[in-house]
Amino acid sequence: MNKPNNHLLYEERIHFVGRVSSIAVILMLLAVPAIISINYNLFPTMTAFLKGLAMVWMIYLPICIAEVLTYTPMVGISGAYLSFISGNLANMKIPCAAMAMDNAGVKGSTDEGEVIATLSIGASTIVTEIIIVAGVIALVPLTPVLTSEVLAPAFQNILPALFGALGVYWIMRQWKLAVTPLAFVILVSALVPFFTGKSIPAGLLIPVSGLLSVLAARYMYNRGWVVSAGNE
Amino acid sequence: MNYLDIANSSLLFTVVAFVIAVVFVQSVIFMVIAWRRGVELGISRKKMLDAIRSSAIFSIVPSLPILLALVAMVPVLGLPFPWLRLGVIGSAPYELLAANIGAQSMGVQGLGYSGFTDQVFINSMWIMSLGILWSPVLFLLLAKRMQKGMNNMKKSDSKWLEIMIASLFFGMLSVFIGQPIVVGGIQLATILTSAAIMFAITAFIRRYSIDWLSNFSLSIAMIASMALAILYSRIM
Repeated sequence: MNKPNNHLLYEERIHFVGRVSSIAVILMLLAVPAIISINYNLFPTMTAFLKGLAMVWMIYLPICIAEVLTYTPMVGISGAYLSFISGNLANMKIPCAAMAMDNAGVKGSTDEGEVIATLSIGASTIVTEIIIVAGVIALVPLTPVLTSEVLAPAFQNILPALFGALGVYWIMRQWKLAVTPLAFVILVSALVPFFTGKSIPAGLLIPVSGLLSVLAARYMYNRGWVVSAGNE
Repeated sequence: MNYLDIANSSLLFTVVAFVIAVVFVQSVIFMVIAWRRGVELGISRKKMLDAIRSSAIFSIVPSLPILLALVAMVPVLGLPFPWLRLGVIGSAPYELLAANIGAQSMGVQGLGYSGFTDQVFINSMWIMSLGILWSPVLFLLLAKRMQKGMNNMKKSDSKWLEIMIASLFFGMLSVFIGQPIVVGGIQLATILTSAAIMFAITAFIRRYSIDWLSNFSLSIAMIASMALAILYSRIM
């Protein structure tokens, strides 16, 4: 067997397994409230249900569309099947896969990158599920530790603690790609609360920042300012 | 019947445990397929094990805030359902928002307020379950098309595809870097600390070529700067 055939075989296998398992999980997620409804003969009133659902969809449908379009290339197709089921992409799966691929010396767009990203995201998912199970079992003894005032600042600052390290690592690699989106985010985050008194949620900012970043990258690529994604 | 009896019923526990088990198995199957493909491509066992090991270790700390959300949700929604919601797809902010909207659309002020009956609970359950289903459903519908698009880009200009993926990544990074910079205070101090530690570790790894350390540099920088955030909160 030669390599291209194996590549197609792998893709087909991933799509098959991904589809079957994702559909199964989606149906089961709906079965959970359904089983409770039927077993206890307990149903929400139709108007309340529809009103609430419409409100949630209005907020989350645009976010979900943007997430699928921006995150999929970063985690690869097989990584995306897992990530969109298990969640926590921006704060866990994407940083995890990006570092694993870089340490292995492979690029996300290659077959090798897809393998490393999938192993990384799979391992990450399994660890998270185990930790949550541990939390469910030991909720009572863990509660005082988790909610202790001493640890509160550490948990409140987990995102800056993660993204400071991640940021400096990647900006050292290819600072040119970071200039436009970073300038945009700083400008918008400073100006919008100043005028409206409200800050913008990250979920809304990420797709816009991503789009601008791609446009700026294309501009620099066309002009030869940026010739590769890695070190220059 | 108190709604918490339903919310903590053994029926709900059993169903939830089953779903979580399936998600677990899904990850294992994907890893087995990827591992075999890696062997086929000639990736060394060491590289693949390193990816698994470093990812597993890295994921421990970012998982802890999920437990914090669990602690917050259990008194109002019982134990099994928040376990399911936080273990699959959802994030804490979404779940709290959806649960609240579920309560409010039934005329209750919010989660845990008086009048939170079993019917309000089931409404919250349905809305939380259906509200964020879009990401896996949309991905399911678009996966093959996106794969084709990426394969075509790879054929016509693989350099650009690489740069485009990197620039999307930078777009996301910028949001999480730019916001703490603007907020300032402890957040800014923490992000600068984390960046400085990562810079130092990376320089150290290059200087003494200790490659294995690079698998843990992100975890070390993150945990160390979280610890220092505690210190900053005392003095700032």
